[in-house]
Amino acid sequence: MTPEPTPFDHRPDPVLGGALSRVLAPGDQAAFVARVMAALDDAAVAHWDVLASWARAGIAAAVVAVIVGGLLVARPAGSPASLEDVLAVAAGPAAPALVAGSTPPDPSVVLTSAEER
Amino acid sequence: MARAVAGDRSAFGVLVERYAAAVRRVARAVLGDPDDADDAAQDAFLSAFVKLRQYDPHRPFGPWLMRIAANAATDRRRRRAVRRAESLDGLRAWGPQPDAEAQRRDLGLRLREALAQLPERRRAAVVLFDVEGYSHADIGRILGIPEGTVRSEVFHARRALRVLLADWKEDVE
Repeated sequence: MTPEPTPFDHRPDPVLGGALSRVLAPGDQAAFVARVMAALDDAAVAHWDVLASWARAGIAAAVVAVIVGGLLVARPAGSPASLEDVLAVAAGPAAPALVAGSTPPDPSVVLTSAEER
Repeated sequence: MARAVAGDRSAFGVLVERYAAAVRRVARAVLGDPDDADDAAQDAFLSAFVKLRQYDPHRPFGPWLMRIAANAATDRRRRRAVRRAESLDGLRAWGPQPDAEAQRRDLGLRLREALAQLPERRRAAVVLFDVEGYSHADIGRILGIPEGTVRSEVFHARRALRVLLADWKEDVE
């Protein structure tokens, strides 16, 4: 060991280094390397598992989107009713006034119209 | 190296074999407990594999890997919220202790105790310098501290270890 160490020593101390190396000596090297490589493989498998789970979620979302889209497209699109049709259905003396009036209808008129029907 | 960077696992395996001992020693210097150290060393290699594309092949690989290893060991210690006192217990618990009195005279045990009394950064610095042979500048980059601080840490670590080793010699004599 260096007799009197200083902050300016720029060379490793072989005696101290050797002693520390023995103290810190790791265990079975081959087992450790095998363990790291196995962990690397596991990490890769986990990576693909994540991608697969994303793919499953994506497929499910696509199926839902197709079903919803299909329902929207397949729904019968009725043409909007004309004013004449409405008046014909609501045949009664008060109906034209209710539909064409510019002011809110009187509730009594509405009730009367409903009673007539 | 190029094959490993390209994702070749067998090439990376060669790097693991080459650097495993050094990475485990540094992790053990930081953490004390050999099992924790091996876990941290494994974390370091997995992290290095993921980050290999960030590695500059014009620079030496050892310091780059050692920085990852030192960070992995420090992160593991922080995650487990091991207080310093517990860390010292872990360091003292290294290896079998069948006969305390006999072991007390053992250089290895004295060194472990001496190391355990050093701050974490000082332990890492002296191991990187005297065991792994890195320069002060490299150690500064590995530990993320100025080169002058590395010199100071190595100096204080050596002085502390030297005192304890001297005591050990006197005991033996």
